[in-house]
Amino acid sequence: MGRTYIVEDVVEGYLTKQCEQTAGPVSGLLIGQSSTQREYVVTATRTPQREESTASGGNSPDKEWVTEHARQVSRMLPGGLSVLGVFIVTDTDAKDTLTTLRQLVFAVENLISSERLWTSAEDDVSDRVVLHVNPKTRKTLCRTFDVKDPKSVAKPADWKYQSGVCSSWSTVSCCVSVDVLLPLPDNPTATEDTAKCLKEGLRGWAHQLESAVCLIDGRRLAADAELAGGQKRNVRQTYSAQLLITPDERRLAEGVQRCGGSVSVSGAVYSTAYLHSNKPKARQAEKLLKRDAVSTLTTRAQMLLEELLTSGGASEGSSRDEHQREQFCLPHRVFCPVEASGPVCVCDYRFSDEGLSEVIDRLKEMLDMDAAEKDLDIRRETPAEVLEGDAADEPTVETAEALQSKRNYFGAAMATTVALLATAASMLYLNDV
Amino acid sequence: MVVSDSLSSDRGTILRVRGPLEFKCHLVSTDARHMLKVISRTFETLKSQVKSESCVLTVCDSPVIIWPNKDVYITPQEITPNAPCDDILKWIQSDEQDPAGLRSAKKKSKKSSAASVINLRLMMEATKTGPLSAPILSRTVQKSHFLSTTFPVDCVVRTTVNETIKDAFERLLKALTHQLCEMEKVTLQHTKGTTLLVPEPLHFLLPEPKGLVTVVYPAGVPDSQLEAQRKELHQQFELPDDWPYFRRANTYHFPNEPYKDGYLRNPHLVLTHPTLDNGKVYLVQGTYSYHHYMQDHTDDNGWGCAYRSLQTICSWFQQQGYVERAVPSHKETQQALVDVGDKKASFVGSRQWIGSIEVQAVLNQLLGVTSKIMFVSQGSELASKGRELANHFLTEGTPIMIGGGVLAHTILGVAWSETSGQIRYLILDPHYTGAEDLQVVTDKGWCGWKGTDFWDQTAYYNLCLPLRPKVF
Repeated sequence: MGRTYIVEDVVEGYLTKQCEQTAGPVSGLLIGQSSTQREYVVTATRTPQREESTASGGNSPDKEWVTEHARQVSRMLPGGLSVLGVFIVTDTDAKDTLTTLRQLVFAVENLISSERLWTSAEDDVSDRVVLHVNPKTRKTLCRTFDVKDPKSVAKPADWKYQSGVCSSWSTVSCCVSVDVLLPLPDNPTATEDTAKCLKEGLRGWAHQLESAVCLIDGRRLAADAELAGGQKRNVRQTYSAQLLITPDERRLAEGVQRCGGSVSVSGAVYSTAYLHSNKPKARQAEKLLKRDAVSTLTTRAQMLLEELLTSGGASEGSSRDEHQREQFCLPHRVFCPVEASGPVCVCDYRFSDEGLSEVIDRLKEMLDMDAAEKDLDIRRETPAEVLEGDAADEPTVETAEALQSKRNYFGAAMATTVALLATAASMLYLNDV
Repeated sequence: MVVSDSLSSDRGTILRVRGPLEFKCHLVSTDARHMLKVISRTFETLKSQVKSESCVLTVCDSPVIIWPNKDVYITPQEITPNAPCDDILKWIQSDEQDPAGLRSAKKKSKKSSAASVINLRLMMEATKTGPLSAPILSRTVQKSHFLSTTFPVDCVVRTTVNETIKDAFERLLKALTHQLCEMEKVTLQHTKGTTLLVPEPLHFLLPEPKGLVTVVYPAGVPDSQLEAQRKELHQQFELPDDWPYFRRANTYHFPNEPYKDGYLRNPHLVLTHPTLDNGKVYLVQGTYSYHHYMQDHTDDNGWGCAYRSLQTICSWFQQQGYVERAVPSHKETQQALVDVGDKKASFVGSRQWIGSIEVQAVLNQLLGVTSKIMFVSQGSELASKGRELANHFLTEGTPIMIGGGVLAHTILGVAWSETSGQIRYLILDPHYTGAEDLQVVTDKGWCGWKGTDFWDQTAYYNLCLPLRPKVF
């Protein structure tokens, strides 16, 4: 019994459009939600053009490029949405591309999961889809691979178009406050140290959230309870969640220890998750919402640290004798609906020195979305502002200068990130599954 | 002076809040003044957290959640803040039966209905109403120190009958804030250089009307080093200074909390005491464990009764905080007698009986406790020992070991009438071979009131009456 993919009509139109362009084979990502019974594909996006022409033959997709695209796109998907697989529009025979496509989905999965701070659960669906479209015949071939099984083989799957797939999906959201304080290791710090230290600290915060008590619309629901609780099916619902946390019982590093400084993250993140309309469970809503909260904070911290690395890090080379405190604003989250009338949105992160036009450009580049400023929802979070003269201990507050580099335009980011991930990426292909 | 060993149900339920509170701060230097300033500031943050709208108390084993600082907002909303506190009890889904086997509902005596405890967990709500500011990452680079620990908050409030949830929880919040202040004092007092002692709240049950009192001690510091604090507490609560109330071993044990060692504590408390004309009841004070045949995988059926009575007595000294030594095994008891020269080396490992004299010797050798020996030439004389036994329980309050004929028992109290001379004895029988089942032990009289005919009227008896040290 293969998987069933219920796909938005819009995606059919999009794939057709890709067939009609003549610049050569097109690869891209399929985005949507998995559930135990079936998968829902909500949108698709082609891999952006690479600035330099690819040296290798134009027929096979550039694996590194596609994987990196998937990583960037993944950061733009709120809870409940994920990269379900890849598509390719090419007149090369389907059988020949299957191996490449298989490599792609495994590489994508490995890269995306390596960035996560939450652990995948037993009941998470591990099938990923590969879709092959022949532009001349318009024939589609749909197969799935189990990314948890290194030896998995292609299984057939059903690909069905439908209208209004996500028009009545439910939304669960909340605003989670963050207040994390961590010691830096006791030796000269570089940005890498900050990154490692922060990752550990955020892991602790993620763990707290994972075990938090979750209330939906003010009530604590039994794990197996349905989210809609007897209300009409296929009616769009919005739920508000509350999370109650308690500090970790495990005592780590008790007492007073030497350190090389401290790093803190403080503020709030707006977290949201979407659930399909086929009797979603409260437990699922809780899981997706918590994962989104962890992801959005982690993503932003990573983005900031990537920035610091690129720009050389504001504290590199400065004197370490006198203490100095630097403050950086994490970007704030902006949402854009996938279709004008639906509840499902993608998101992007806007740094304080950026305008909305940069957001629109990124939505176009990464997700091939044509959005206008009026479509963007920027009211969920307010941009962070560094307060001068904080009541701190002998403060010498230095606000980091606005980081001048062009931010996350795919090409620029690629240069840095590929450098960082060079080792990792090569390992992915060495252990070719 | 009979100290009540359990809270009676005359007053309302107990609210008990527990939860870890994270305490973290960055210390730019280990200069004492700076450290104290930073620590105080961190405590201010904790206090404001606890007083904020994000502070949440969840009732254990129930769906009830209370926000004490949001006009006492409660979910599920069927419960209103003006409802009596006891209403919360209806929402708690736990097994009413204590695993040790509480007295069945049929034979409910007044003594067995101990006060109910509502256990709450202290949590923080991480979510707030938006829109809120996106996060700021702050980094300070400097060779310095970092303080990180968790404080075990444990706060108790006794409600009055029919007190509303709103009032009770407002009081609970005040108690929580007060506890943080106490913790701050202890932390500041005991932080030197790079050592930090965690402030640990402990509850002690004082004689009525004072009731349950909470004291914050620095964790890990033994009773002997806390003498000054304990003396001050004795003065503050106007307590005699020859009986310990504030040693760690005196911590109040909440009902329905199982004891880690599995022994029954004070089984006599569920009994109905006899009423004699012009008679009074004089009981053992404090707490002890019931030791009897076959415990600890030791088959001492037929020979170990005096050893078990001795163990009961030792448990009393340990639980009042006079000694830290665990209850001795039979071998350890025998070894002690060899060590004092009372027995030959071959005694260890044997099944030889011991009597009151040996019990006296072991108490002295292992615990440093002195005991008086009382001798009656025949069992019938015990009927006339009412005054002496009553006095013993009044001034010493320790369990008595009695040996005679071929049996040894423990006397836990007497009911005695000065005018009529009537007397009853509260006996704890070490010959019981069953499981730690309170119901069986009390129903079948293994712990129970006996008359003068309990004793062999012609045999002679020796009693060992341990004296308690007159210290606090």
